[in-house]
Amino acid sequence: MENRLIDDRHIDFLLYEVVDAESLCELSYFSDHGRDTFSLYLQQARKLAREVLYPTYRTLDLEPPELKDGAVRVHPELEKILPRMVDLGVVSATRPYEVGGQQLPFLIFGMANAYLMAANLAAYGYLGLTTGAARLIESFGSEDLKSQYMKRMYSGEWTGTMALTEPQAGSSLADVATRAVLTDEGHYLLSGTKIFLSGGDHGITDNIVHMALARIEGAPAGIKGVSLFVVPKKRFDGEDLVDNDCVVSGLFHKIGWRGLPSISLTFGDRGDCRGYLVGEAHQGIRYMFQMMNEARLMVGLNGASTASAGYLEALRYAQDRPQGRRLKGREPGAPQVPIIEHADVRRMLLRQKAIVEGGFALLAKASALQDRGEHADDERERERASLLLDLLTPIAKSFPAEWGFEANTLSVQVHGGYGYTSEYLPEAWWRDQKLNSIHEGTTGIHGLDLLGRKVMMKGGQPLMLLGEAIAESVAAAHEAGVEGAWCEALQAAVATVGELTAHLGGLGMAGDPEGMLLHSDDYLSLLSIVVVAWQWVDMAAAAKRGLARGEDTERAFYEGKLYAAQYWIATELPKTTVLAELCRTGEDSYVRIDALSF
Amino acid sequence: MKILVALKRVADPDNANKVKIPADGSTIDTAGLEFKPNPFDEYALETALRLTEDGTKPKVRDGEVIVVTFGPADTESTLRAALATGADRAIRVDANDDQLDGLLVAKGLKTLVAEEKPDIVLMGKQAVDGDTNQVGQALAELLDWPMATFAATIEEQEDGLVVGREVDGGVLELSIKYPAVVTVDLRIVSPSSVYSTKTDRSFKYNEGVRFSPLPAIMQARRKPLDTKSLADLVDDTGLKINYLRFEAPPARLAGVKVADAAELVDKLKNEAKVL
Repeated sequence: MENRLIDDRHIDFLLYEVVDAESLCELSYFSDHGRDTFSLYLQQARKLAREVLYPTYRTLDLEPPELKDGAVRVHPELEKILPRMVDLGVVSATRPYEVGGQQLPFLIFGMANAYLMAANLAAYGYLGLTTGAARLIESFGSEDLKSQYMKRMYSGEWTGTMALTEPQAGSSLADVATRAVLTDEGHYLLSGTKIFLSGGDHGITDNIVHMALARIEGAPAGIKGVSLFVVPKKRFDGEDLVDNDCVVSGLFHKIGWRGLPSISLTFGDRGDCRGYLVGEAHQGIRYMFQMMNEARLMVGLNGASTASAGYLEALRYAQDRPQGRRLKGREPGAPQVPIIEHADVRRMLLRQKAIVEGGFALLAKASALQDRGEHADDERERERASLLLDLLTPIAKSFPAEWGFEANTLSVQVHGGYGYTSEYLPEAWWRDQKLNSIHEGTTGIHGLDLLGRKVMMKGGQPLMLLGEAIAESVAAAHEAGVEGAWCEALQAAVATVGELTAHLGGLGMAGDPEGMLLHSDDYLSLLSIVVVAWQWVDMAAAAKRGLARGEDTERAFYEGKLYAAQYWIATELPKTTVLAELCRTGEDSYVRIDALSF
Repeated sequence: MKILVALKRVADPDNANKVKIPADGSTIDTAGLEFKPNPFDEYALETALRLTEDGTKPKVRDGEVIVVTFGPADTESTLRAALATGADRAIRVDANDDQLDGLLVAKGLKTLVAEEKPDIVLMGKQAVDGDTNQVGQALAELLDWPMATFAATIEEQEDGLVVGREVDGGVLELSIKYPAVVTVDLRIVSPSSVYSTKTDRSFKYNEGVRFSPLPAIMQARRKPLDTKSLADLVDDTGLKINYLRFEAPPARLAGVKVADAAELVDKLKNEAKVL
């Protein structure tokens, strides 16, 4: 049987038995929706993913884009695939009716689009970027920019990109140097070079709209002098579209996402590259940050989806591949057993399951918070949801990327020697996955963000909200009959986080930010493990409730959740003790070592 | 052009290994099975949509497509899905599967046809659960309408259809006048299988049935879905076909390795008795 990419039953379990997706329809923004619209959209995405996107995945990986005569040419299959994704309504699904959207909850959008990502990450990338770019115009742009650019992006006529990175300004966007000079006609003339523009040129649509960060002449130095511009590949000259002096100056050769070109783009070689300011001057970074939670959840979904495709491939392989015999009662002449019979292979499969399903659970929870944070009718609820989401976002972004990479490694490993060949797909997902710990903020940045900003903001409120949410889950888990020891282990870990955070916060207050943040990556790992253990306690409770309903056909499914929960709590949660110790003691080998001593 | 599409929902054929039959063989246990539309009926719906549009403008419907199913309340989700695909309205005739047989469904459809007066009734050549392949033929007989079964291609004409049927040794083309009953086979959803008079012959559809865009999914909630009772349509709701007993096909036995060709020939001759 074909790889199903993501387990449908698991996604439905999360939506309807764990996070209660239907309750979102009580909010006025989502009131036109119901389980029927959710299921139909999911069905369509599943089908499109499996029947249209997945069959071209390897083709796009093998035949990456080429740069010829100053233009990027991508694989012709994309000309067929992209319109079909657009037709589904992918680009504008969550947006308000006024801009052509359908007000679909981000939760459903994310879980449905995860199938498209699992099937063909690169192909989905074009549209994911377009949504993000159009949203910036929707939120901050003028009416002119909306009618000229945003509309055509949401309808899928044009695509969009993020033109942020420059050779000297990657993680450090404060160092953006692209220049913008105001003209008498009201537009700006841009000059500078951007790199790593995904989907920056492709030849599939008539136009591409770059959302570019640049510094207006005379702007203050640093982060507060960066502005956001719409810089189209072709600009309007009356009714006509004319070239806007954006020159493709290079094509990067990437190890993954190979269907999606990453280019360097030079603005204003001929001095004729017009940019249109979005919102107010010098607010570019602030605008970008307002979109970050959503963008980062999307990266988390990339990670969980890619890990899921690898996991299900490995599971299928392990069930089919006969190799070796059982340790007990082995006879040389006996037939070989499928490798899933071997304990170590099971370990690798259950670990992947725990990472993939725990990752999706975290993303479902965070996505529901995103929906409530934006659209809850009650202001206090919006505020609480947003605060908790702020805290969870660095984890929802980097857990699927980091642990997902490990899951993809295990998928290769389960395939043994074949896994190391390009005849099999796990190596391709493994290459794709690596990007997710790098783009949209590296894991290192997210560690700093989590410990330096998120847990400390508003007097530690987000962490208190997390503690309350976990306490609620634990109470529900007790009631459902989940192992008491699991709940206690989770709560002990939460207590550790609380004490540790207070200690580290104290260092910061005492004027030692370096001591505080020395182990920010370990802190991120620690909180990631705890937050995912929380998901497993939630899922265990839902599984217990499911088992209590006594449907025989569902027994294996629910028991699978309990075993995965046991695995996570027994094998992963204890690691938090070591991580907390590193953070607390400030183990200092890598800061004290002299650069010459490496 | 008005088209009535009959649609049945069936246990997902991919779940075949989950089908259970209790020891007394009295029924098929459908607990835990997933349901989906009968694929051939989905093809019939796709055909109806292609016949009522210009292929380049699939959002504009020229004519009316009505989908009808016979089933319990939960089959409404199947009808909503059909509405999201592009059908204009839906009718559910309330009945459980064990209250229905092919002839009863054909009789119910006959009454609906009298009410709705469609130009064409379209359906799959058979449902993949019972595989009886009866309803289309029975309906055409009851209505005394022209019929084309197993359609692989359809081209709309001014007053009827040219239907291509794949038969042994080639394609048989039938020209039929409205009103008519047509049952479709799997190749009807190939890119160049169906052309309305509005669709240019150079146009090619995507392979298979179309997807439902999210806006259409939202619209489907507001499209009419009527419910009728079986007794409203058919006077005698007694079953003509009674199932006596169900049993699973015998489990496949493990194969054996033969030492050489001679042994193989011997087995084919004396055990399998096929030579």
